[in-house]
Amino acid sequence: MTTIAVVSAGLSEPSSSHLLADRLAAGVGAVLPVEVRTVHLRDVARDVADNLVTGFPSARLKAVVDDVVGADGLIAVTPTFNASYSGLFKSFVDVLEPESLAGKPVLIGATGGTERHSLVLDYALRPLFAYLKADVVPTGVYAASSDWGSPQGLSDRIDRASAELAGLLAGRAPAAPVDKFADVVPFDQLLAGKRHS
Amino acid sequence: MQFGVFTVGDVTPDPTTGRTPTEAERIKAMVAIALKAEEVGLDVFATGEHHNPPFVPSSPTTMLGYIAARTERLVLSTATTLITTNDPVKIAEDFAMLQHLADGRVDLMMGRGNTGPVYPWFGKDIRDGIDLAIENYHLLHRLWREDVVDWEGRHRTPLQSFTSTPRPLDGVPPFVWHGSIRSPEIAEQAAYYGDGFFANNIFWPKEHFIRLINLYRERYEHYGHGSAGQAVVGLGGQVFMRRNSQDAVREFRPYFDNAPVYGHGPSLEDFTSQTPLTVGSPQEVVEKTLSFRQHFGDYQRQLFLVDHAGLPLKTVLEQLDLLGEIVPVLRREFAAGRPAEVPDAPTHASLRQAAAQRKAEVR
Repeated sequence: MTTIAVVSAGLSEPSSSHLLADRLAAGVGAVLPVEVRTVHLRDVARDVADNLVTGFPSARLKAVVDDVVGADGLIAVTPTFNASYSGLFKSFVDVLEPESLAGKPVLIGATGGTERHSLVLDYALRPLFAYLKADVVPTGVYAASSDWGSPQGLSDRIDRASAELAGLLAGRAPAAPVDKFADVVPFDQLLAGKRHS
Repeated sequence: MQFGVFTVGDVTPDPTTGRTPTEAERIKAMVAIALKAEEVGLDVFATGEHHNPPFVPSSPTTMLGYIAARTERLVLSTATTLITTNDPVKIAEDFAMLQHLADGRVDLMMGRGNTGPVYPWFGKDIRDGIDLAIENYHLLHRLWREDVVDWEGRHRTPLQSFTSTPRPLDGVPPFVWHGSIRSPEIAEQAAYYGDGFFANNIFWPKEHFIRLINLYRERYEHYGHGSAGQAVVGLGGQVFMRRNSQDAVREFRPYFDNAPVYGHGPSLEDFTSQTPLTVGSPQEVVEKTLSFRQHFGDYQRQLFLVDHAGLPLKTVLEQLDLLGEIVPVLRREFAAGRPAEVPDAPTHASLRQAAAQRKAEVR
């Protein structure tokens, strides 16, 4: 079955970021049968900080990272802090191996106290995932506090974004993680200055 | 099986006193550690090479030459020699000279160095790191094996009719280890030449190094140097011992908590469960060290880090006394059940004998 990882950087409990992430995952599930693995970064906050210091993930964080990079698709939701993604969200992205999200279908979401921050999706999150060479769906979903009390709008955006991610995932080959140990460049090629065959 | 110590040569304040040793004190401390290593029966002393504060060992063969004159048995090595930013011609000359002075008690470990600014200080670019390691070592390998070398590459001026002097002692180049923490390319390089592979496993979990070492072993066999089990593997270790386990933990904790590499991160308990770091009784160090063989196979060289994070020299020398006590136990235990086909780490004597044998076979 298609797997999606749902990463939420929400810090409070309950958290509107968790709520938005769950709604997005349910939206995808309504269109396509998916297995969902949800990660609340708060639960591995110290592990992420330790990884930044030591250069390796704890066993607990490694399981989370493996879930995220091994999933067929990713839903990534962060609260908006000081006009950008949260530090914890970025730190988690920073401990992922380079290229590990390359080509991965990603749906981005953000939450905030006011709709004035809604462009955080397009000036902060989208460029970040563009740099990571992820395949970000056109619609991102921003939920301000006021959206949770609106009759329409948010649900429509969730449905549209979820359908876009489901569309990208449908019929796609399962994610195949890169294994640099399994695919070693023979030495004669290294000697000839060819790092990558 | 060889046992020894390797040192980074960092000048770090002692977190319990706030006192920072002078460069002179640190350099002399490194020498004292080497002399003590021989005194307590260890086999190897290896120094790092660094070109930026807070590290002192910028000139390894100067230090090793001095230690050579004051020791008789100890093998002098490096951890690592920067094959990227050093001119391979100068490495060839420096270490051949050291070989002669030390009567062959010399080998060295190639490394790339991971500090970006060091590369431009020596006219290089860190983005060429792997390419430099491959091309420079290929030249070094030839300079020690061919009396006259014509050479042209991408990273150094060409050489025409060049002879590196002095020639290696007895015509036998020093044994080379290739050190790497994460690059499969370096495991491939070590395997290609039939050189040793040193995995500095001390800061990371074993799962990563199992893959790296297995790759080296497989490729060593692929290139026809022997079976995978005969490949020459070295490992790091990091220990702090007191007779009583709790005393070791209590005394080492402030050094751990403030250590330059991992301090202010995971707890001592988390780090010891995740990496080779062992803080405890000599028996606990023996048990942890013996477990390496289960993960990585029978291997040839075990180097311990004992002198970093601002530990005072007196404490480090006490650690060496304790290492001297456990190494005979480790030798005995590692020898038990070791397949006969697994070789010891090459030495000048064994390499000279092998060369003589090859010569006799050709005749």
